Amino acid sequence: MGSIFDDFKDGQKLGSGHRLAAALTPVSTSANPGRLQSFYYFSNAAHVSSDLRYSLFQANGIKLPKQEQNSWVDIFAAYWSAVGELVRFEEAPSRASWVKVFNAWKETANQLIRGYSTGGLQAWTIPCLYVVGRYLRHFARRADAELSSQEADGFGDGFQDDVSSGLEKNAKLEEATRVLNRMFTLCLTDRSPIEDSRKWGIYDTTNLLFKTYFKLNTVGLSKNLLRALNAQSADLPDLSAFPKSHTVTFKYYIGVIHFLDENYAEAEQHLAEAWKMCHRNAMKNRELILTYLIPCHLVTTHTLPSKKLLAPFPRLEKLYRPLCNCIKSGDLGGFDAAMSAGEEEFVKRRIYLPLERGRDIALRNLFRKVFIAGGFEEPKDGQPPIRRTRVPVAEFAAAVRIGTHADERSRVDIDEVECLLSNLIYKGLMKGYIARERGMVVLSKGGSAFPGTGV
Amino acid sequence: MSNTQTQDKAEPSQQPQQQQKPSVLEEDDEFEDFPVEDWPQDETEQGTTANGTDAHLWEESWDDDDAAEDFSKQLKEELKKVDASR
Repeated sequence: MGSIFDDFKDGQKLGSGHRLAAALTPVSTSANPGRLQSFYYFSNAAHVSSDLRYSLFQANGIKLPKQEQNSWVDIFAAYWSAVGELVRFEEAPSRASWVKVFNAWKETANQLIRGYSTGGLQAWTIPCLYVVGRYLRHFARRADAELSSQEADGFGDGFQDDVSSGLEKNAKLEEATRVLNRMFTLCLTDRSPIEDSRKWGIYDTTNLLFKTYFKLNTVGLSKNLLRALNAQSADLPDLSAFPKSHTVTFKYYIGVIHFLDENYAEAEQHLAEAWKMCHRNAMKNRELILTYLIPCHLVTTHTLPSKKLLAPFPRLEKLYRPLCNCIKSGDLGGFDAAMSAGEEEFVKRRIYLPLERGRDIALRNLFRKVFIAGGFEEPKDGQPPIRRTRVPVAEFAAAVRIGTHADERSRVDIDEVECLLSNLIYKGLMKGYIARERGMVVLSKGGSAFPGTGV
Repeated sequence: MSNTQTQDKAEPSQQPQQQQKPSVLEEDDEFEDFPVEDWPQDETEQGTTANGTDAHLWEESWDDDDAAEDFSKQLKEELKKVDASR
């Protein structure tokens, strides 16, 4: 990243969308700490358009069709105002305001959208749209935080907070959503040939909207985007043709959307793809993918993460290991304790529901141990040994006492144990029936008493 | 894992210095922007695991441990209590 004008010049000369987008990235860098200041002070409000016309084009010897050139001047004029609001944080913090930054940035975004829809901007410059969209979200959140802290200052006793905060606390982010939606449409509806189409920006803008909907707690609105994408799917390039940062993020959000709908099989499929393609150094993102992939695995294939898988993620190891250990050993009491210990975190991450299903797996494992402890029938001559498949209900009751850490005084309710057994049988985790009059469970022979577990 | 390297790369492109300070509104559960737009297969998760399979990363949920005998003993003890309480 060089000076703003250098980035613009290089981007245009090289035809590099990313280099061009760097020009619209509103930051100073350690290598160039005065980057924003020097851009802001190169002109003033009265002359900014003509100064931009000179500095962006004539001085660099860049020639573009007149309409396109005008679009860039309008975009950079709005950008110049936004940078002015940002510079104020350095120079006159008391007069600086994130709301003003947001408003000016929104104007930049609108100018950019206009440039694409009617101003002749070319599709290769589309990374500009990502950068401007990304910062629109960022500034909206800052502005909302600023508004809510001012509100808190104004009504110091907190009395009014409850009334207003619920409705308005994300006002700017919601405003940003409307702009992001126009960016989405702008990409989706481009009818140019695919080599020169804004359609290449579709997943990046979709991802921006996903993130925003999740933040606003309006995940349901994501479905509208998916419907629109599906309707256009015949005209979109295959997902694998897009850069991996677009597809991994997209797959992650699609996976989580299915996850929240309790479609764990589909969720697992999308999350597994995100996991496989994710950059191995993106630890935070890998951790997030796994956070949802682990409960999916538990529900769909009843498999647990290995030590090796979680070793690089101490937070996940801490979050999931106690549960996994209890599931493996059939420790029902420990499972319940781990669920309530982690409850707040599980609920916050919206993984409580699928994890709760782990209790059935823990119970299955406990009853499986009873089956294995039962040993084998007397071998009939020449036949391979067969496990004892008639097991007294009382033995399962005894196992439940072990699993729940029952103390001396607590009584076992046989009806309850039968209920647990029939539940497992109903869910296909155990195969057999209860012969109540004899107090026996008759399990399936031939290695299918506990399907999928080898016995 | 060269986590720091990722951040280094991030700095010039998208993660401006002034915003790297954690701020109250930066939620810790949001999927982050990748510092680069695309990467070769051998920098992916799949590319770095042997044969591209992750089979060994997931294990069965039950445990055929060596403590089966202990469990048998324990089960007999508890069985007495179950019978006694009926």
